[in-house]
Amino acid sequence: MTKGWRAILRKEIRSEMRQRSGLITTVLFSVFTVITISFATFDLEISPQLGAGLLCVAMLFAAIVALPRAVLIEEEQGTGDLLRLVAKAEDVYWGKAIYNLLFMAITSLVLTVLFLGFTRTGVAIPWLFVACIAGSCAAYAGTVTLCGALVAQASNRNALAGVLSVPLLLPLSFLAVSGLRVALDLRGGFNVGNGAIAGVGLLCYGAASLVIGPYLFAAVWKR
Amino acid sequence: MKYVFALAVAAVTLWSFYVPDAVGFQHPELARIFFWHFPCPILASVLLIAGGWFSWKYTKTNDLVWDVRAVAMMELGYLFCLMTMATGIMFSQVQWGAWWQNDPRQTSFLMVLLIYAAYFGLRGAIHDENRRASNSGVYALAALLPVLFLIFVFPRLPQIQSFHPSDSIMKGQIKGGYAYVVISVLVLVSWLTAWLYRIRVRTGLLELKLEDRNNGSRLETNSGDPAGSTVVRPVRVPRES
Repeated sequence: MTKGWRAILRKEIRSEMRQRSGLITTVLFSVFTVITISFATFDLEISPQLGAGLLCVAMLFAAIVALPRAVLIEEEQGTGDLLRLVAKAEDVYWGKAIYNLLFMAITSLVLTVLFLGFTRTGVAIPWLFVACIAGSCAAYAGTVTLCGALVAQASNRNALAGVLSVPLLLPLSFLAVSGLRVALDLRGGFNVGNGAIAGVGLLCYGAASLVIGPYLFAAVWKR
Repeated sequence: MKYVFALAVAAVTLWSFYVPDAVGFQHPELARIFFWHFPCPILASVLLIAGGWFSWKYTKTNDLVWDVRAVAMMELGYLFCLMTMATGIMFSQVQWGAWWQNDPRQTSFLMVLLIYAAYFGLRGAIHDENRRASNSGVYALAALLPVLFLIFVFPRLPQIQSFHPSDSIMKGQIKGGYAYVVISVLVLVSWLTAWLYRIRVRTGLLELKLEDRNNGSRLETNSGDPAGSTVVRPVRVPRES
């Protein structure tokens, strides 16, 4: 990884700061999702299992709505070819993946704070909760950045980015639900060891998604 | 050769009805669908991994022949995934009392099916053959991690309770005539797969040749986007003097 990724990251952040449309849209999406969940479950006590599932689904869809934009926007604005000329594929991947990771971290923070507040759910094991959220964010950033590059020059690219990303991220959701239900379980009904295995698995999955990404991204970006 | 294969299938099918019933099932006589269910996920896994391998070869060499091979593997792998689901759902209804049990193995195989449906969706959305080959090849490689996780890791996690036994072969629970029929069906289905693969690759190579021949009379279009503007290369026109 060379220093070029920092330039790409700076470009992405400046571009977002100038328009702020991506962040505002995603935060609004998160707010609407949590309000919908809270509206639909107003007379129910949300179990750890259900809470973990709802939070994972909300994060998954927030990621799919927001993250492919970082790559697709280059083709929409016609700047993709210029970027191909001036930057290495590896730098473009890392710049955009780290930007997506930061973006997803902010979205997850907003989403989880709102979710915990609106559904009156407590966190029993904070480190496991943070590990699950961090692992999920890393895997979302790595996978969706790659899927964005795969569909950048396809027809119906926005919908296709979601179609490609969701199946790749579903195994991750299994791990996230397994870990988060233990982290949210205030009564201690689930095995903490299993939750820890899921949390570590998530972190490894996230790291693997980010590490494999540049090699695969390079194979499609310069064509 | 076709007649030998047909005779072998008929013989093995008849044999499968003569072996003693398996023990431990609600309807042991109907558990014979296992003979045809068991080879399907094994072959599907092998074909999908081989498809990933051929995709990797394409990304290294940019030779469309590897893409043709990868697609043939993927299509056959997808077919076996569908057959796994179909035979599994029938088994589930007969032995466990419901078409869909939310069993982790059923669900994880359904997800493998969705991953490869997305692969074919991606191929359908890109019209330039080189870009289609490279992007779908990269997707096949990226999908290997979740597919391996879903097939081999997820059903064996400690918190996962499944109706599917995962150690029947290791513990030697499939033995005697039952084991011979299982192996025979596996061999026959593998034979059929190899045969179908050869036909599919030959068809794919012929399609490539045909496209190469037609390329001479075709305008070069903006890659990938069917709605994109047609790009016509500039040509030098000699001045009339």
